[in-house]
Amino acid sequence: MKQTLVTGNEAAAWGARLVQPNYIPTFPITPQTECIETLAQWISDGEMSGTYFDRMESEHSVMSAAVGAAAVGARVFTATSSQGLLLMHEVLYIASGMRLPIVMATISRGLSSPVTLWSDHNDFLDQRDSGWLMLHAENNQEVLDMVLQAYRIAEDPRVLLPIMVNMDGYVLSFTDEPITIPTAGMVKEFLPEYTPKHTIAKDRPITVGPPVLDEYTLFRAQNHVAARNALEVMEEVMVDFDRIFGRRYHLVDEFMLEDAELVLVTQGSMSTTAKAAIMEMREEEDIKVGLLRLRVIRPWPASAIAAALKNAKAVAVIDRNVAPGKGGIMLPEIVETLYHLDRRPLVSSFIVGLGGNSQTEHKVKEITRKLIVDLETGRPRVEWNDMNNNDNEGL
Amino acid sequence: MQEFKSLKDLPEQDYFTGGSSTCAGCGPSMGLKLALKVLGPDTIIVNASGCMTLLPLYPNTPLKVSWIHNAIENASSTAAGVRHGLDMLGNGDMNVVVYAGDGATYDIGLASLSAAAAKNERIIYICYNNQSFGNTGFQWSTATPYGSETKTTPRGKDNPTGTTVVNKDMVKIMGAHRVYAATASLAYPVDFLNKLNRAKERDGFSYIELLGSCTAGWNYDPRMTVRISKLAVQCGMWPLYEIENGMLTLNKDFNELKPIDEFLKLQGRYRALPQDDVAKLQSLINEHWAELKEYNGKRYV
Repeated sequence: MKQTLVTGNEAAAWGARLVQPNYIPTFPITPQTECIETLAQWISDGEMSGTYFDRMESEHSVMSAAVGAAAVGARVFTATSSQGLLLMHEVLYIASGMRLPIVMATISRGLSSPVTLWSDHNDFLDQRDSGWLMLHAENNQEVLDMVLQAYRIAEDPRVLLPIMVNMDGYVLSFTDEPITIPTAGMVKEFLPEYTPKHTIAKDRPITVGPPVLDEYTLFRAQNHVAARNALEVMEEVMVDFDRIFGRRYHLVDEFMLEDAELVLVTQGSMSTTAKAAIMEMREEEDIKVGLLRLRVIRPWPASAIAAALKNAKAVAVIDRNVAPGKGGIMLPEIVETLYHLDRRPLVSSFIVGLGGNSQTEHKVKEITRKLIVDLETGRPRVEWNDMNNNDNEGL
Repeated sequence: MQEFKSLKDLPEQDYFTGGSSTCAGCGPSMGLKLALKVLGPDTIIVNASGCMTLLPLYPNTPLKVSWIHNAIENASSTAAGVRHGLDMLGNGDMNVVVYAGDGATYDIGLASLSAAAAKNERIIYICYNNQSFGNTGFQWSTATPYGSETKTTPRGKDNPTGTTVVNKDMVKIMGAHRVYAATASLAYPVDFLNKLNRAKERDGFSYIELLGSCTAGWNYDPRMTVRISKLAVQCGMWPLYEIENGMLTLNKDFNELKPIDEFLKLQGRYRALPQDDVAKLQSLINEHWAELKEYNGKRYV
């Protein structure tokens, strides 16, 4: 094991390097580019001799090639961002429908138009119903650790589904953080060799991706069951990960929730800022606030989320995304999860950090104070942050 | 390398057997049946969404080789992944063969085809050209010849011609990628199979375009498939030639072409084509034929 400073892009590349996939199809897009450049250099230098690095002509072709290689039993890694992830969208459904355990790092960036290079989560969350499993990292260490875990989860015979590991563009992709790089031996102990059962090979002709008639429902149901199975597999994998690497992860990340009456629900790197603000608020203002970070978006860890929020009086769902005409994407997911509880907290919605607008501790404190007001008035709010005139009327 | 002299030289073994759900007299089905005799059992067909996607219908398949269908525009990139996956896992001796229609080849899939060819991936790409988007019921593609009626280029009072766009010269485009590019016809199976055989031996990308006559869309008697395929060659509508390293070889030469009328009159898609348009189609064919004759044995692209 070695401690080193790497960017989020490099952390994802390190994950791939340690796994040594057979095939990496690529296409450059900001802010993902550094990840595939790093891999290209390592492969050129002979550091990843068992891997074929392929330069494709589009992200659509990247995912198509990933499907082709995975269908013949290859271990596949790739990475993308933003418009590129959207261009892959069609083939994402095909990859999950074929039950191919492809691992992809996604580096979040807001979507056109207007053009933004900066981070938000709409690109990632637009893939919510594609049948892929979806993990979201908070920091660079977690990016690397999630890539390793992703292969174990995806390749488990109870699951066999593709999986994406998301990090926030710029905030993580281009920011150096000290991380621990595990040894090859540890990774070997954690991740067994991949021996796919259902694959195209010599002397064993099979048909992949044919049309069906009435059986379509059956296949979709099997996909759903496999995704649900992943919750149990993830818990096992995280225990095993802790045993070998000494870092314990959970389905959801709970921060100072034991006595929290106010809970902020976040995703990705803004959680770190929020955690710092929470510590200050607790110390300086004696506000009982905590944080629930969504680590696993699909499958949806409903029980873990409900358990974590069962004592909350008011919840602020902080969405770094928006479904126009509806609101924050994670808001209804959280509300639906709380609906069945005996005692439901008040839930307010905050849309923040679109197109890379930075999430400061000051903003987190503001949101918390507004949540206190909501709890007092008993009326939840929907608020868009970062508006120039701060006029939320009609939203 | 074995050269086929006649159909009698072909293996008896079929890898395309009963149970297909394609039309009677379907040119592309016949083409695949023939092709698999040469390609053999260690073959993976990569299919682009189209008529041939209906060959297997879960849980049945008429094929005794592996088959993967991804989507319509990505057969070439899927094939690239299949190729490198197999190579990395020690199955490099398997044939990776794309079987895709002209819509998936000329139009929506052109980018991925061009990239795979430019990278000279070890893939055999067979385009079965039925001169339309066939599976959706015969709509215009950039392979549709001038004057053909399609569902999206119907003849009418303001447009008596039907298709007014002249089709792309795809073989030339592929030849310009410095890969092996050739045309083929069901009516000249030995020529087709020898081209496939050479493609199989090549250490790189090969593009073979088979005229895939379509009984439903072209609107002809299913018994006429081979006759129509032959007439297409004899009328110069579908000349047989190949481009290798930029050099052109005309595989079937004629002193004189049959008039295009003989090809047109057997098919409903050319019914009521105005004589001016027949003349224009004939001149386009003559022009292409003259070009092929001029460059035969010379650098073409």
